Amino acid sequence: MSVVVIGLSHRSSPVELRERFAFAGETIPHALAALRENLATEAVILSTCNRVEIYAVTTLAPDTAFAELKKFLVTHHAYDGALGDELYSFAEPHSLHHLFKVASGLDSMVIGETEIFGQLKAAYELAFTHKHTGARLNKTFQRAFNVAKHIRTETNIQRGSVSVMSAAVELAEKIFSSLAEHEVLVIGAGETSEKTARALLSRGARGVVVTNRSPERATALAAELGGRAVPFEQWPDEFAKIDIAISSTAATEHILNRATLEPLMKRRKHRPLLLIDIAVPRDIEPAVSELDNVYLYNVDDLQSIAADYLKLRQEEVARCEQIIGEKVAALLAANRYSATDSHR
Amino acid sequence: MAWFTDRHCFLLAVTFYGLSTIYSVFLWRKGFRRDDWVNYFLIAAGVVLHTLAMTKRGLTLHSCPVNNLYEATTFLLWALGLASLVYSLLPRFKFLAAFTAPVLFTVGVFALMPSLDPPRGPKPEFSGALRSLHAATSLQAYGAFGLAAVAAGMFLMQRHDLKAHKLRAMLSLLPSIQRLELITFRLVAVGFVLLTIGLAAGSQLPRHEGKPYLSDSKVIWSALLWLVYLESLVAYKLFGRTSRRFALGAIIAFAVLLLTFWVTNIYSPLHNQ
Repeated sequence: MSVVVIGLSHRSSPVELRERFAFAGETIPHALAALRENLATEAVILSTCNRVEIYAVTTLAPDTAFAELKKFLVTHHAYDGALGDELYSFAEPHSLHHLFKVASGLDSMVIGETEIFGQLKAAYELAFTHKHTGARLNKTFQRAFNVAKHIRTETNIQRGSVSVMSAAVELAEKIFSSLAEHEVLVIGAGETSEKTARALLSRGARGVVVTNRSPERATALAAELGGRAVPFEQWPDEFAKIDIAISSTAATEHILNRATLEPLMKRRKHRPLLLIDIAVPRDIEPAVSELDNVYLYNVDDLQSIAADYLKLRQEEVARCEQIIGEKVAALLAANRYSATDSHR
Repeated sequence: MAWFTDRHCFLLAVTFYGLSTIYSVFLWRKGFRRDDWVNYFLIAAGVVLHTLAMTKRGLTLHSCPVNNLYEATTFLLWALGLASLVYSLLPRFKFLAAFTAPVLFTVGVFALMPSLDPPRGPKPEFSGALRSLHAATSLQAYGAFGLAAVAAGMFLMQRHDLKAHKLRAMLSLLPSIQRLELITFRLVAVGFVLLTIGLAAGSQLPRHEGKPYLSDSKVIWSALLWLVYLESLVAYKLFGRTSRRFALGAIIAFAVLLLTFWVTNIYSPLHNQ
């Protein structure tokens, strides 16, 4: 008996194909039951927007198991197209290696992301609750979760912000002791500024003030974010109260320049001010960063931080692979020992 | 163990400060990315030996060991080292030790120069509770100013990296600049209060050969130092001095303090008895 895996992911197939093979949450218990009827003794189905995978423990030879699992997938989803390299399959030890990589976020679109860990855990718990797992998969999945946690603490694979929004939040936390004491001003109700404001609020920012050329849009966004709206002409007055400003207007010229900000900084008693300019063309004159206690970041700066972090994560992959290799070897040795022991 | 004097003990303490300095260089080069306790324990070992050295000297003298330049310097460093250990326990302040270690090491090596600790008679001339209070609080004030300069250094480094959009600012595990600014201010304020108490205690001591206090170089120096720190605090709190200038002021004032401490001591009849 060994653990095998068959599936397709963002690496092997386009979204059009992945969505054809996706399992709806409520259908998974039935699919697992069908799998266990004549194919596998234990099974877990992982279905996310980026991957669909079946982990199974089977007595069949790997090649036979892969053919049967492929047939199951095609039949279950009534797929009548051609399938080639889009579908991958692994037998032990590669199946274990793959599972550990998936759990650690090494096989994710954004390397090191943690969402997959929760999704994998939910998939396993669903199978466990419906009694579709046994000793083999329980041990394998528990080990996968432990390896993912170990990698998270021992390496930098999950370190840092890999999106513009999270980079902005991290920056704010490098400047301010606690976001709970600071209000955010959103100038121009664009999508990225809204997401950035949401990210700051989720990290405890005290409140949000929204201003937009269209007052209706400002009021709507302020209501959505639980903040207040101010007329576009009055946003400079808010500078005495706020500490973070996110700007993303469609203005063709700078809406904030050094000459305007200098007296405002005096009114702020030179408290630190984080300016995030995600507009193109830029809303804020670069010269404002020469002012003391003003920290200006534009969209390129934030993207550059995200890219640097991603590069750092990629550099950590080799270390993670080494850890996974060791852990897979240890699990296989433990399985061999258990098998020998049970034969005595 | 009679051969093992308090100076040997202090030498060992300085060795630990030296090891910590070397380790700090590696932490610095790595951009303060990995948070560990190695540096903290190196400084802690140094401070324990340092305390032992001062205790041995104090027990020999039957008074607070602040009677000559060596003792005054070691007391100052001890206050700095101890305060750095306490502050390092605050979240994200573990790297404070890395910034303090070079000061402890270099000034420690200087303090070990034999000329700073001349042989004396069986009983020091410098004794009494008020004198001990004066010396101890003044030296603790210098320790607080030293730590403020260290926090100010951390602030300026983080500020520069954030302004220059350096990834190091994001990767380092240093505290936020707002927090560093607050700590710098608090340390300067604590140092100022201690210096005020120290100077007030000193003003109650008997005068040297009936001379006015303000003719003594060390007294003039201390009064100037007190004014410099007062001006810095008032300008920062009441007149909107920027945090960068305040931090620079804390570093410059402490550098001047370190450079002139011994000179004014040597030329002070009151402090060179």
